[in-house]
Amino acid sequence: MGRKVKDNFAKGIIYLATGITLSVLIFIVGFIFVKGIGLVNFDFLTRDFNEKVFYAFVQNEDVSMSIDEEALKQKTPFDDRYESLIEGPIYVDNIGAAIAKVTYKNNATEHEQLVISYIEKNSPLTNAADSTGKEMRIGTDYVIQSINGTDFEGLSLDEAAALIKNQSDELKIKVVQPGGGVKSNIITTLYMVLLSLVIAIPLGIFGAIYLTEYAKPGRFVNTIRFAAECLSGIPSIIFGLFGMAFFVVALKLQISLLSGSLTVAIILLPVIIRSTEEALKTVPTSFREGSLALGATKLQTIFKVVLPCAVPGIATAVLLSIGRVVGESAALLLTAGTVAQIPGTLLSPGSTLTVQAYYVAKEEGNIELACAIGIVIIVIVIVLNILSRIMSDKLDVFNKK
Amino acid sequence: MDKKIKFNTKNLDLFYGDFQALKSINLEICEKEVTAFIGPSGCGKSTFLRCLNRMNDLIESVRIEGEILFDGQDINGDIDVINLRTRVGMVFQKPNPFPMSIYENIAYGPKCQGLKDKTQLDKLVKESLIKAALWEEVKDRLNKSALGLSGGQQQRLCIARTIAMQPEVILMDEPTSALDPIATAKIEDLMSKLKKDYTIIIVTHSMQQAGRISDKTAFFLMGEVVEYGETPVIFTNPADKRTEDYITGRFG
Repeated sequence: MGRKVKDNFAKGIIYLATGITLSVLIFIVGFIFVKGIGLVNFDFLTRDFNEKVFYAFVQNEDVSMSIDEEALKQKTPFDDRYESLIEGPIYVDNIGAAIAKVTYKNNATEHEQLVISYIEKNSPLTNAADSTGKEMRIGTDYVIQSINGTDFEGLSLDEAAALIKNQSDELKIKVVQPGGGVKSNIITTLYMVLLSLVIAIPLGIFGAIYLTEYAKPGRFVNTIRFAAECLSGIPSIIFGLFGMAFFVVALKLQISLLSGSLTVAIILLPVIIRSTEEALKTVPTSFREGSLALGATKLQTIFKVVLPCAVPGIATAVLLSIGRVVGESAALLLTAGTVAQIPGTLLSPGSTLTVQAYYVAKEEGNIELACAIGIVIIVIVIVLNILSRIMSDKLDVFNKK
Repeated sequence: MDKKIKFNTKNLDLFYGDFQALKSINLEICEKEVTAFIGPSGCGKSTFLRCLNRMNDLIESVRIEGEILFDGQDINGDIDVINLRTRVGMVFQKPNPFPMSIYENIAYGPKCQGLKDKTQLDKLVKESLIKAALWEEVKDRLNKSALGLSGGQQQRLCIARTIAMQPEVILMDEPTSALDPIATAKIEDLMSKLKKDYTIIIVTHSMQQAGRISDKTAFFLMGEVVEYGETPVIFTNPADKRTEDYITGRFG
C-alpha cells in the first residue's frame, strides 16, 4: 500500500512538472502572439523600419486616369495601423497619380498629411530620379511634403492638387518613404545566419575531424574538449565585448555585419565541434576499415565515407546554430549595431530582428512592436528549422534504400 | 607443388602493449591457393591476418617484430601502405558496404586511385560483379543503395568491391560468420572459383568450412602456429595432439 502511494506521488510530480513547462511555453508564445499580431501585416514585412525623406525629380507629363472614380475610391493603400483617410482621393493628371489626405497617429504624435493613394502604370512617378540622379520610383502610401519649394502644410486637398497642376517645369517633390516595417531587419538576420554559418561550420567540422580522426587521445585532446565546453557556457555578452575590442577596434572592421558574424561564429564553434564530434564517433569503425583496406588514403576515407555518414549529426549542429544566431542579442548589439538598414557591404552595420526587438522594447518602450518582431523571429526560426530538416533528410545516406 | 610463395613470415612477434598476441610465427603461403587459419577465439589468427595488409596500423598500441615478406619484400619496412592494400584486399567478418549505391561501392576503390573514365569504371563494375556472382541479382538496381541488399548479397558486394581493385591476394576474416547456410554456400562456391586468379587467405571458425574449401590449413593456438600443412593431412592425420583435440571437438 505504501509503495502505491509513493508511486502515485512521484507520478503526480512528473505530470505537474510537465504541465507547468507546457503551460509556461504556451503562455509565452500566446502572449507574444496576442500582443503583436495586430501589427503584423504585409506592410510590416516589406517596409523599412525608419522613414526616409528625400527629394524626387519627376517629369511634368500628363497621364489620364484609366480607372473610374468609384474604383479610385477603393484604392486605399494606407497603413491602417497608423493612418486613416479624411479627404480624397483626387486624381492629378500631370503626375499621373491620386493624392489623399490622412491622419497619421502614432504613440505620441498626431497630424494630417498628404499621401499618394494611387499611381497609373505609366505615371512619371514610376520613373523619377533622386538628387544624385539615380533612378528611383515613388510608391503608394508615400507622403508628399512640398513641391518646387512650396510646402503643402496648411493647404486643403483641392488647393494642394491645384498647386501640383499649376507647375509648368520639372517637378521637385519632397517625399517621405513610409517606415514602420522590419524588412531590413529580416534581411540582416538572414545575412547574419548565412555568414556566421559559412564561417563557423567549416572551422567546426575540421576541428571535429582533427579531434576524432587525427589527434591521439590524451591530455591535449581533453584540454581542447574542456575548453570547448567552457566556451559554450560563457554568456554571450563576454563574446560581444571581445568582438568589440578585437574585431571592431583592433582589426578595424567597425561595427558591421562582418564583426557581428565573426563574433557569433566564435559563439557557435563549440556547439558545432561537439555535435560533429559525436556524429563522427557514431560512424562504425568497419566503414573506416573497409575504406582503408581498399587502398583509400585516410583523407579520402574521411571525406568520402565518414563525413557523409555524419551528415544527420552535422545537420543537428546547423539547426542549433541557426537558433543561436537568430536569438543572439547581446553580442550583436556590441558588434553589429542597432541601425535598422540593409547592410550594403560586409562592413556596414545592421540590426537583426532580435536586436531590433530589444531596441524597440528598451529605447522606445513599444512592447507591441517588440512582440510583433517576436512573431517574425519565431516564424523564421521554424521555417529555417524545417528547411534544414528537409535538407538533412535528403542528404542522409542511411535513408536511401 | 612447386607453387610460388606469396607471403613468407619469419619469427613474427606481435604485442598489444605488454601482451604478446603472436609468438614467432613462421608461415609460407602459396600463390593461387586457399589457405585457412583455424583455432579457438583469441588465438591470434585474425591478428595475424590483419598483419598481412597492415590493418593493425590502426591500433595504437601494436608493436610488431620479425619479417613479413610479400613477394620477397618486407612489408613492415619502408613501403607504400596504400599500394600494399591495393594488392592485398580484405573482406571483413560483418558485411560493411558503404552507405552509397551498389555502383559507387564498387567504383569507390578505383576512384580513390584516380580512375575517372566512365566507360572504364562501368566495365570494371560489371566485371567485378560478374566475378563475385552478383551481377544477375543487382544489374537492374546498380544505383540503389547497397544497404538494401541481403546480408549474403552485401558480403558478395564486399568481395566484388575488393576484386575491383584487381588485387593479388584476398584476405577474408570469417566472411560467412554473419550469414545463413545458403549465403555461406554461395560464398564458398565463389571462393573456389576465385582461387584460380587470386591467393585467398581465410580465417574461419568452422572446421567444416576449412575442410571444404582450403588447400592448406594452419592451426593457431595461444598465439602460436601449432601445425600447418595440406588440409587433408591436418584433418585426417594431424601430427600434433592439440590439433587432433581441437578438430575432433574436444575443446575450442
